[in-house]
Amino acid sequence: MIDIKGLRKSYGSNEVLRGIDLHVDEKEVVVIIGPSGSGKSTLLRCINYLEQPTEGIISVDGTVLDGETNINKVRAEVGMVFQHFNLFPHMTVQQNIMLAPMKVRHVSADEAAIQATSLLEMVGLKDKAMSYPEQLSGGQQQRVAIARALAMRPKVMLFDEPTSALDPEMVGEVLDVMKRLAHEGMTMVVVTHEMGFAREVGDRLLFVDQGVILEQGKPKDVFEHPTAPRTKEFLSKVL
Amino acid sequence: MDFNFDLIIESFPLLLMGAGVTIKITTLSVLLGVIIGLVVGILRICTLKPLRILAMVYIDFLRGTPLLVQIFLVYFALPVITGQRVDPYFAAIISCGVNSGAYVAEIIRSGIQSIDKGQMEAGRSLGMTWLQTMRYVVVPQAVKRVIPQIGNEFIALLKDSSLVSVIGFEELTRRGQLIIARTYGSLEIWLSVAVIYLVMTLTISRLVAFLEWKFNTSRRSAA
Repeated sequence: MIDIKGLRKSYGSNEVLRGIDLHVDEKEVVVIIGPSGSGKSTLLRCINYLEQPTEGIISVDGTVLDGETNINKVRAEVGMVFQHFNLFPHMTVQQNIMLAPMKVRHVSADEAAIQATSLLEMVGLKDKAMSYPEQLSGGQQQRVAIARALAMRPKVMLFDEPTSALDPEMVGEVLDVMKRLAHEGMTMVVVTHEMGFAREVGDRLLFVDQGVILEQGKPKDVFEHPTAPRTKEFLSKVL
Repeated sequence: MDFNFDLIIESFPLLLMGAGVTIKITTLSVLLGVIIGLVVGILRICTLKPLRILAMVYIDFLRGTPLLVQIFLVYFALPVITGQRVDPYFAAIISCGVNSGAYVAEIIRSGIQSIDKGQMEAGRSLGMTWLQTMRYVVVPQAVKRVIPQIGNEFIALLKDSSLVSVIGFEELTRRGQLIIARTYGSLEIWLSVAVIYLVMTLTISRLVAFLEWKFNTSRRSAA
């Protein structure tokens, strides 16, 4: 579903990603962990071209991303959930979810509304359709953000530290929605610090450090038998 | 010193008619200015460099030259090129509106740049184009945020519109001049004119404050 070859990304002389090769299968859940500044978020943001790679080839569902590709078309197939939710504050929850399907997919308002209702039901917020984002808790906002991304019926979902900005008691409700998505067979790439989630839901765990994938494998194996010293050191701090 | 109250009372209806014209051209000019300002303000930060430069030239030229000279350019210089006389009413609105557009563009630009860049990223990540995200996500929030500054621009333009009196357009200031030419009542008439301007600007600033308050107390206010 996602193919990344020789991905490099620099900001000036600062090289953030230093040669990443990654293949994500359909329905696979890949969890990326690593210290802050390791480049894991940049890697995720390269997949939908919010960051332009300096070097390397990325393809999503067979479409190679470059200057020529209709990037909007690819992005419509790749949902993204941000650390800070980024809901549209001037719109109701329902309008947030309806906007992109109507403008990009040219879905009718009625159809978009019906879809919004069923998505809100799925994330457990059916009664919040007419609320504005600022009236919701962080956990609720993030669940709306997931519903908004799903409204485009994406083939892949990217999660950029979706629970890092949340109060601890709200982390669970967001992770529950993500688990459900995973069980329904969504292809997911998740950058997170939630090791429990990584172990339980992840099909594969990547440890990224200083712009390279240092170690990868089944989450259980990486957690229990890390091979690289850096992985051991990192895991000893977070587990 | 003679102070002729009767002159004020006599002239008041004429002055008020002038004030009506002033409000009319100011409103039309600000409308034109906001439309131009929205377009130029967005071009000013768009991804295409030639368009950005074009917007900058527009803004620099109109903010860097006196409005009075711009009025002369439209009213006296334009006919030299087109060979057609320019209607004073048209000249007044075009010169004020085009001038105001440059100031509004900078206001809009600062408003857009004050919106969290996560909003653009969220819109783009959903597959919307840059323009769609601007139109439906960023600009509505930015406009709400810059309403007080647009109000100030309205007030500034209302006062600056007195400049169009030089091309003989009969707004408030020109009305005053004409009455004085007839009656020699400089003190009475200029005082009256000043008070009428003051009442208009104070009314607008209160109106803007009310609008701002209304937006801030509504649930739709941007976080």
